[in-house]
Amino acid sequence: MPVISVDHLTKDYGHGRGVFDVSIQVNKGECYGFLGPNGAGKTTTIRHLMGFSKPEKGKTSISDMDSWEHSAELKNTVGYLPGEVTLPQGLSGTGFLKMMEGMRSTKNDDYLKMLLDKFDLDPNISIKRMSLGVKRKLAVVTAFMHDPDILILDEPTSGLDPVMQETFIDFVKEEKARGKTIFLSSHIFHEVDASCDRIAIIRDGKIVSEFKSEDLKSSHDRIYRITFQNESSYLRFVEKPFRFTSKNHGKLRARVQIESNRISELTGCLGDYDIADFVEIPFTLEDYFMSFYDTGHHFGKVGA
Amino acid sequence: MKVTKVFSWSLMKQSLNANKVLAIACTLVLCLLTVVTTYAGNLIGGTDSVDYTDAQTELYSHLYVLASYNELMGTSLSYDDFSTTDDTTVYETVFSMMSAQSDELDLSCEQFAEAAETLAESDVGLDVYIENFEYVYALGSVQGCFSGDDLDVNTMMTNMFEMMGMSSDLLSTMSEMDTSAMLNQMYFTIMCLLPIILFIIFAGNELVVDQVDKGSMAYVLSTPTKRSAVVITQMIYMIVMPFIMVGCGFLTRIAASVAFTGEVDVAKYLALYGGMYLLAEAMASICYLGSCVFNLSKNALALGGGLNVWFFLCSLLGMFGFETMVSMGMGAEMLGVFNNLTIVGLFDVEALGTVGSGAVDYAFVPKLIALAVIAVVCYAVGAVRFQKKDLPL
Repeated sequence: MPVISVDHLTKDYGHGRGVFDVSIQVNKGECYGFLGPNGAGKTTTIRHLMGFSKPEKGKTSISDMDSWEHSAELKNTVGYLPGEVTLPQGLSGTGFLKMMEGMRSTKNDDYLKMLLDKFDLDPNISIKRMSLGVKRKLAVVTAFMHDPDILILDEPTSGLDPVMQETFIDFVKEEKARGKTIFLSSHIFHEVDASCDRIAIIRDGKIVSEFKSEDLKSSHDRIYRITFQNESSYLRFVEKPFRFTSKNHGKLRARVQIESNRISELTGCLGDYDIADFVEIPFTLEDYFMSFYDTGHHFGKVGA
Repeated sequence: MKVTKVFSWSLMKQSLNANKVLAIACTLVLCLLTVVTTYAGNLIGGTDSVDYTDAQTELYSHLYVLASYNELMGTSLSYDDFSTTDDTTVYETVFSMMSAQSDELDLSCEQFAEAAETLAESDVGLDVYIENFEYVYALGSVQGCFSGDDLDVNTMMTNMFEMMGMSSDLLSTMSEMDTSAMLNQMYFTIMCLLPIILFIIFAGNELVVDQVDKGSMAYVLSTPTKRSAVVITQMIYMIVMPFIMVGCGFLTRIAASVAFTGEVDVAKYLALYGGMYLLAEAMASICYLGSCVFNLSKNALALGGGLNVWFFLCSLLGMFGFETMVSMGMGAEMLGVFNNLTIVGLFDVEALGTVGSGAVDYAFVPKLIALAVIAVVCYAVGAVRFQKKDLPL
C-alpha cells in the first residue's frame, strides 16, 4: 500500500496551467523526486497533498486517508516544507518554533536542538531581520522538528548555500535510512539525483517520465564527443549512421549518442579518421531532463 | 490523534504579536481623543445657559435704568464708571429710586455687580454684553421702538435682530443650540471611530488574507490545526480586540468625566459605548468577510477597507445634514442622504444618549439589531467560505 498516493489528479487553472491526470505512488521508506521547471505543476500537486486545494477530478491521499477530508489529522505525521519563504509576522525565530510546537502540541527539545545544531541556526532573532537563507533553514527545522514519518518538501534547498545544500541532502538520506517516506519537488537536478530512489518529470501539468534513478545511472546510452584534426575527416564522419546529438562544423566536433553494446562499432571505425580528441560525456539527470525541452519529443522511459 | 478544531492559543498569540503596535497605537489615540473631548464637553456643558440668561436680564435691566436716567438727567453713569469708582452711592440712589417706581423691578448695586461678574466668566465676555446693549439701546432710541417695557431680554434681542434684518427663528435656534450634543455625535461617529476603523482594516487584513497571500498560512496549516480553528481563532481576535479598545475608551471617559466634573452618567455612556462596539463589530465583520473570501490582500482591502472608509466619509458628510447643523446654517439638508448610505447611521448617538435619563428614546434598538445581524452574517459567511475554498499556498 503506497503511503502517498495521487490518483488521476486533475486541477485546471485555465490557460494551460494546473495539473492534468497526474498519478503518483510513493511507498513507505521511499524518497520520491518530483522534477520539473517552474510552473509545471509541482506545487499544485503538493497543494492537494497538503489539503490546501480540493481536487477537481481524482483523489489524493496519505496513509490511505483522503488528504482534503483529513487534512488536519494527517499533519500529525506529515512534515511540510513550503516553497514559500514568508513566515508569520511579529515573531522571533524562537517564538515561531514555539508557536509551531504549540500548534502541534509536541515538544522535543533534544531533537530540536540537534536540528538547530545540524543546520547551524540561531533562532534568537526577529524573523524580520533574518536573511533569506536563515528563514529557509528555520523552515527546514520546522518541517522536521516533530520527527514526522512522512515528509513533503517543496524545493527544499532553494535559498540554502552549497554547504547547507549538502548538509540537507545528507540529512534527507539519513531520514530515508530511518524509514521515512519522502516526497521532494525540485527544479534542481542535483538534489533529486543525489537523494531520490524514484523520479518523475512533470511538464505542463503532465507527468512525462517516471523512472528509477538507478536505472538512469546505469543507462545503456553513452555520449562521446569527438574532435577531428581536419575538415575532410569531420565531413566523412558526420555522414555515418550514428545518432548525433550535436554537430559543430566550425570546431570540427560532433557528439554521438550510442548504446553501450555498440561502442565497439564506433571505436572500430574511428581509426579511419584523423582524431584530435575523444571524450565521454557523463550522462546526467540534467541531460535527461533537458532532453524533454531541447528536442520537444519524448524518449520514453529509461530502462523500461 | 490530536487535532485543533476550534481555538488555537498559539495562533492567537501570534495574532496578538503581529498587531501589537497597531492595537496599542490606536487605543492610545482613542483614549487621548476621549480625554480631550470630555474636557471640551465639560467646558461647553459648564456654560449653563439658564444662569447666563438670568444674569443677562439682570445686567440689561440695570443698564437700561442707568441709560434712561442718563437721558433724563444728563448724567453719564455707566458700568465702567460703576466698576472703577469707589463711591457708588449715586448708583444706589438711582437703583432704589427706579425699584420704588415699579413692582417688577428689584435693582441694587450688589445685583448689578453680581450679574456683571457672572457674565464676565462666560465665553462671550462682559464687554460684548455691554456693547451689545449700547448698540441696541442706541438703535431703539433712534427708531423709537425701544420702550421701557422692553426689558425682557428675548424681546430686546428679537427687536434687535429684526432691525438688523435677521430672522427671529434663527435667534431661537441659536439659543437652543446644543453644542455638547454635537460634540458627542462627532466624538462617537467620527473621532473615536477613525482609530478603530484603521485598526479593524489593517488587523482584519493581516489575520487571514495577508497570510494566505504571502504564504505564511502554509506553516499554520502544516500543523494539525483545522481551518475551522484558524477562522474561529481569528474571529475571536476580531471580536475581542475592538471590545478592549472600546472598553478602554469607555473607562477613560468615565475616569475623565469624574476628574473634570466629579459626576458621571454611567448608564448613558454604557449605552453609547455599547452601541459603538456593535458598530465596530459590524465593520470588523465586513473586513473579516473580505479577508476570508479573497486570496489576494488587495481585493480584501478593496472590500473591507473600501466599504468602511466609504461608511466613514458618509458619516462625515452626513453630519452636515443633521437638522441642528442645517438650522444653524452650517449644513445642507441634502447631505442628510449620506446618513442613509452608511452603517454608521445605524449607530443612533442621539437616541442612545437618552439612556439613563427620564425619557429613553428606544429608536436605537432596531438599528443596533441591524448592526448585530450584519456582524453575525458576515462572520458566519466568511468563516464557512474559508473552510471550503482552495488556498493558493
